[in-house]
Amino acid sequence: MHTSEHREQFIVPIGPQHPALKEPGHFEFTVDGETVTAASARLGYAHRGIEKACEQRTWVQNLYLFERVCGICSHIHATCYAAAVEKLAGVEAPPRAQAIREVVAELERIHSHLLWLGVAAHEAGFDTLFMYTWRDRETVMDLLEVITGNRVNYSANILGGVKNDITPEQSAEVLKGLDFLEKRIQHYLHVVQNDEFFLQRTRGIGVTTKEMAERLGIVGPTARASGVARDVRVDSPYIAYPQFPVNMMVEESGDLEARTVIRIKELTESCRVIRQILENMPEGEIETKMPRRIKEGEVLMRVEAPRGELWYFVKSNGGEKPERVHVRTPTIPNMASVVALAVGHQLADIPMILAGIDPCFSCQDRAVIVNYAKGGHDHWTWEDLRRYGIEYYRKQRRV
Amino acid sequence: MNNINGLIALLLFPSGLFIMAGGLAYQWIDRKLVAQLQNRIGPRWFQPFADVVKLLVKEEVIPEGANPWLFQAMPILALASALTAVLYVPMFGLRAAYSFPGDLIVTVYLMSVLTISIALAGTNTLTRFSLVGATRALTQLFCYEAPFLLALLGPAIAAGSWQIGEIAAYAGKNWWMIITQPVGFFIAMVGLMGKLELPPFDAPEAETEIVAGALTEYSGRGYALFRLAQGVELIVGLTLISLFYLGGISNPLFFIVKTLCLLFILAALQALLTRLRIDQTVGLWWRFIAVLGLLQFLAIAIFATWRWIG
Repeated sequence: MHTSEHREQFIVPIGPQHPALKEPGHFEFTVDGETVTAASARLGYAHRGIEKACEQRTWVQNLYLFERVCGICSHIHATCYAAAVEKLAGVEAPPRAQAIREVVAELERIHSHLLWLGVAAHEAGFDTLFMYTWRDRETVMDLLEVITGNRVNYSANILGGVKNDITPEQSAEVLKGLDFLEKRIQHYLHVVQNDEFFLQRTRGIGVTTKEMAERLGIVGPTARASGVARDVRVDSPYIAYPQFPVNMMVEESGDLEARTVIRIKELTESCRVIRQILENMPEGEIETKMPRRIKEGEVLMRVEAPRGELWYFVKSNGGEKPERVHVRTPTIPNMASVVALAVGHQLADIPMILAGIDPCFSCQDRAVIVNYAKGGHDHWTWEDLRRYGIEYYRKQRRV
Repeated sequence: MNNINGLIALLLFPSGLFIMAGGLAYQWIDRKLVAQLQNRIGPRWFQPFADVVKLLVKEEVIPEGANPWLFQAMPILALASALTAVLYVPMFGLRAAYSFPGDLIVTVYLMSVLTISIALAGTNTLTRFSLVGATRALTQLFCYEAPFLLALLGPAIAAGSWQIGEIAAYAGKNWWMIITQPVGFFIAMVGLMGKLELPPFDAPEAETEIVAGALTEYSGRGYALFRLAQGVELIVGLTLISLFYLGGISNPLFFIVKTLCLLFILAALQALLTRLRIDQTVGLWWRFIAVLGLLQFLAIAIFATWRWIG
C-alpha cells in the first residue's frame, strides 16, 4: 500500500494592501500553524519611472524630482544628487553650505528614526510608544521648518550650495529643540531596553548574524545592529563629515532589540553632531555658481541615508540634461533579509521583521530588463514604455 | 402582568436597549481613557453610537464560500447570549431580573458564547486572516477560561453559594474581597481583558498581522452586533468583578464609580502593555496566572473546609 502525505499549503498573503504595510508590496508567507515555513516577496507596485523622467528635465529641475523619491529622507536624496553633479562639474560648495547640509541631514535622520521607532512599536502592538514618538517627531519637524521653511520636502539644497542660511536665532531655536529631544531619546532608550513586554517581542527575534548580514549585503542601521561596521559617513565622508565626523554605532546581537537600540543611539549621536556644527559653524558664502551645462563624464556618489547606504550614478553627455541617473536606495539590499529571516519565525513576528529594516517601498522600485534575448531591446524610449504599459494592463484586464 | 415585566426586563431594562447603550458608553470611556493616556484626544462621546448606527444601515456583504445562514446567525447569537447574561446579573446597584441557584455558572458560560461565536464566524469564511484569527481566539479561550472561572469561584466558595445575588450579599456584609482575595481580583481583571481581546491579549485581532482577525469579512449589520455584544460583555464583566471583589450590590452611584475605577485600570493596562504573541499568551496564562489561581483556590478551599469543620 502506498500513502503519500500531502499537506495543503496555507499561505497568508500580506499586501499589496494590508494594515502592516504603509506602502504597497506583496509578501506570501506559508505557515504551518503559526510558524512560517516559506516566504516570498514581490515588489514593484509603486514604480514611478523617476529615473526615466529625470532624463527629460534639466539638471536643476531634477533636484526637485529626486527630492520626491522619498518623502521621509528627501534631503539626503537631493544632497546625494547635488554632490554628484557638483563633483561632475568640478565645483565645490562652500564649507558653510556643506555644514548646513549636514545639519539638515542629521535632523532628517532624527525625524526618520523617530518615525521608525513609532512604526516598529505599532507593529509590535505597543501603540503608546507609537503615539509618544510621533508626538516628539513633531518637534524635529518644526525645527526643520525653522531652518528650511518646510516640514516635509525641505528643499534645502540647490546645485552648488544651499538655499537658506542658518541665522543665530534659528540656531538657538534648534539647540533648544535638541535639549528636549535628547531628554526624550534617553527615555526611549530606557523603555526599549527595559520594558519586559516590549522586549518579549524584540529580544532574540529576527537574529541576523554578522556572516548573514555580510553575505546578503545588508546596509545601514540594520547591518550595524549585526556587528557589521559599515557607515558611509565614516568610511568615505562626504559634505561636511570630514570636519564634523560622527561616531559609528555598532551592536553585536543582530536581533530586533539591537536594531531598535542602535537607531536610538544614532539619534543621540546626531544630536551631538548637530550641536557641534551649530556651535562651530564655518563662516562664508552659502552658494557658488554652477554652470548650466555639466561637463561630459560619469560619477558615482555614495551617502548614508537614514536607512543605509544610498548611491547615485550620474552620467552627463555635456548637455543641459543628464544622460542617465541611477538611484539605488538602501531598502533593496535589506529586503533580502526579510525573506531570509521570516522562515522559522512566528507569524506574529513577521510585521516586526519587515518593519525592522525600515522599508521604503516606493523609493526602491526600479524596472530592470533582464531578458535581452527575448525582446531585443537594450534601450527603451518613452514610446516603448508607454506601449508596454498599455499592453500589460490590457492583458491583466483581459480586454 | 408578569409577562409585561419579563418583556421589559428583556427589551428595556436591565437587558436590551439600556445595556446596549450602556455598553457603548463604557466603550467610549475606555477609548477616551486609552487615548488620553496615549497623549491623544480620543473620540467624541457619540462616536461608538454613530459607528453602530452607520454599520447598521450599511449593506452586509456575505462572502463567497461562507454559509450565509451561519454567517448571519453568529452575530445574533453573540449579542443574544450577552444580553441573556445581563438578566442574571444585578446591574447598576439593583437586584437581578432573574435569579436561581447556580446562575453564576450559566452567566460565565453565556459570556463565553461571544468568543465562540466570533471564532465560528471566522472559521465560516475562507479568508485566511479570519481562519488564523479564529484559531487564535479559540486558543486564547482555552487559556483564560479556567483561571477566570477560578477567580469567580473564589468568592463563591467564601460565600458558600453559586447564586450571584447571594455572593454579592455576602460581599456586601463582609470585608471587600479585593483585600481578602487580591490574587483572584487580579486574575479576574486580566481574564476580562482576555475575554474582550483587549491589548495585550489582542493577538486574535492583531491588525498588523491578520487585519481584523476572525471578523475581517464582517462589514455591516453583523459587525455592529458583534460590537454591541462586546460592549455588553464589558459591562457584565466589570459588574461581576465589582460585585464580587468591591463590596456587593450597594447603590447605582457607587456602582458607576466602582466600575469606572475598574475601567480605568483596564485602560491603563491596555496603554502600558505590548501585544503578546499567541504562544506567549498561552505561556503567561498556564505557567503563571493559572498556577496563581489554583494556589489561591486551594487556600480558599482549605480555609472554607477548616471553617466548616470548626
